[in-house]
Amino acid sequence: MLEIENLHANVGGKEILKGLTLNVGAGEVHAIMGPNGSGKSTLSYVLAGRAGYEVTQGTIRYKGEDLTALAPEARAAKGIFLAMQYPVEIPGVTTLTFLKTALNAQRRARGEKEVDALTVLKRVREKAAALNIPEEMLKRALNVGFSGGEKKRLEILQMALFEPSLAILDETDSGLDIDALKLVAEGVNALRAPGRAMLVITHYQRLLDHIVPDRVHVLSAGRIVKEGGKELAHELEARGYEQIVRAPA
Amino acid sequence: MNAVTSTLDARRAKAAENFRASGVPHRRVEAWKYSDLRAVVGANDVEQAGPAKWSVDAPAGVELFDLASGNAPDWVQQRLGSIGAGAMQSASFGFARSGFALRVPRDATGTVRANWLSDGQARVLIVLEDNASLTLVESADAFAGFRNIGMEVFLANGAQLAQIALSPESSDAVAVTEIAARLSRSAVYRAHFANFGAKLSRTELAVALDGEGAEAHLSGVSVLGAGHADVTTHVDHATGNTRSTQLFKNIAGGHSRAVYQGKVTVRPGANGADSRQTAKGLLLGNRAEIDLKPELEILADDVKCAHGAAVGDLDMESLFYLRSRGIPEAEARALLMRAFLGDAIDEIENEEIRATVWLAVEDALSRAADGAP
Repeated sequence: MLEIENLHANVGGKEILKGLTLNVGAGEVHAIMGPNGSGKSTLSYVLAGRAGYEVTQGTIRYKGEDLTALAPEARAAKGIFLAMQYPVEIPGVTTLTFLKTALNAQRRARGEKEVDALTVLKRVREKAAALNIPEEMLKRALNVGFSGGEKKRLEILQMALFEPSLAILDETDSGLDIDALKLVAEGVNALRAPGRAMLVITHYQRLLDHIVPDRVHVLSAGRIVKEGGKELAHELEARGYEQIVRAPA
Repeated sequence: MNAVTSTLDARRAKAAENFRASGVPHRRVEAWKYSDLRAVVGANDVEQAGPAKWSVDAPAGVELFDLASGNAPDWVQQRLGSIGAGAMQSASFGFARSGFALRVPRDATGTVRANWLSDGQARVLIVLEDNASLTLVESADAFAGFRNIGMEVFLANGAQLAQIALSPESSDAVAVTEIAARLSRSAVYRAHFANFGAKLSRTELAVALDGEGAEAHLSGVSVLGAGHADVTTHVDHATGNTRSTQLFKNIAGGHSRAVYQGKVTVRPGANGADSRQTAKGLLLGNRAEIDLKPELEILADDVKCAHGAAVGDLDMESLFYLRSRGIPEAEARALLMRAFLGDAIDEIENEEIRATVWLAVEDALSRAADGAP
């Protein structure tokens, strides 16, 4: 589903990704683990198409199609979703309005019929209830005044609503207490599906106790330096990045 | 009768003299430093401007008097031309015999719609008696040439005026509006100005909070794809326990310029005065300009005053966030611009009028965005 080959990317003229290769199949959940500064967030932004994250070499193929020239909105319409580490606060745009606008923009781009406000509301309510998001929050400005946990839950709600075929979760565990973490993990697990791939980017193994990955990749200095099954996450936690990164893959 | 009429004539003559003494304001006059009126209008243009045409729709219960007719009633004679001594305001009184006066009697309520139909000069007098309340919706037809409106507002104890002024885009127009308002005890004045650009537009507002408990809430949006819009305010906390808030949002695209200058004065002994002033600007592209100049002059001890001003570009992180959710760039930009303006437009309490302003803003936003880089 996602094939990344020898990816090099610059941010502000500095090379951050230095030949990253990664394959994620449909229905699989892969974890990317790595120390701070290894390029985890850069990878997520490059996949989502953020301006300023410049691919200098290599390819990103998604369902066989090269993504690198596509605008972020075009990628979203193709089913790519990035749950961000720091969801942005947008005063003046209510959460519900935003959800409806985004959902219909994606549908329009795919040539599908737009969904009316009532149907959107019904779907959002359903998914919000499962994530313990109070309805009052949906009427507030997007992410404004939300706690860290609330912001992350709203990211998962979007994922549930948009039903992407590739979900990238960037440090979704950061800033969450254990209860919030469990709630978010349950939300993510509920979305595991044969047609949907997930890339879970995290610094710590604890999220992976709740979202159990099929494969674990270790990112260091812009490259995947080690791969393994879910047990690799525990090994990393026990021995630290230093040792694993230095050991031959 | 003759004696009183000649009082009005004497005031008119004095106003004309006033204007001739100072001439058309120019950028070396501090209050006009961002808007060089003299560069676009000559003194002769001002003296010879004809009467500005208008239409007013006033309900029964609100008195309307046409200033072009003779035999002005006492309430007009007493007040007309008594406040507002700026050069342009003087001109609007000294040379024009056009305009209208509105009076809302004690405890009465009404909504008045006024529309400016042409260029020229006119004077407006608004008198609200004790506990009267008026919503004044002002609009204008697009026009070319020079227009100068001088407005006097008198709010008696507990009176409430909500004024909403919509100025459409008029690229060949020079439009000046100067408003002077006097508020007695517990009077409340809400004013909102929506400007969409002219060759030069200047809205100047001087509010005197003369009675305890008086409040002024001023807000506005300027959304420009071209042209120049200047909003200049002066709120004078002449008495203690008075409140003022100001919230002005400006979007400038293309080759346009938005200006906000706001001065707040708290007089000696006006303790308990509470003033908040916020002005923000959003620049689309590098040929546009926004000047924001909030200013505080505090001569009392026990006051609460805050002011802030900031000009920026659209937030790139927000833009990426929206686009990553599938919202196309142009739509995402428009969404962020609407969000930027939202709280200033929300200052309009009447829902129907707010919706009208939003409609005008939508049009202007697409022009502003088209005019960018």
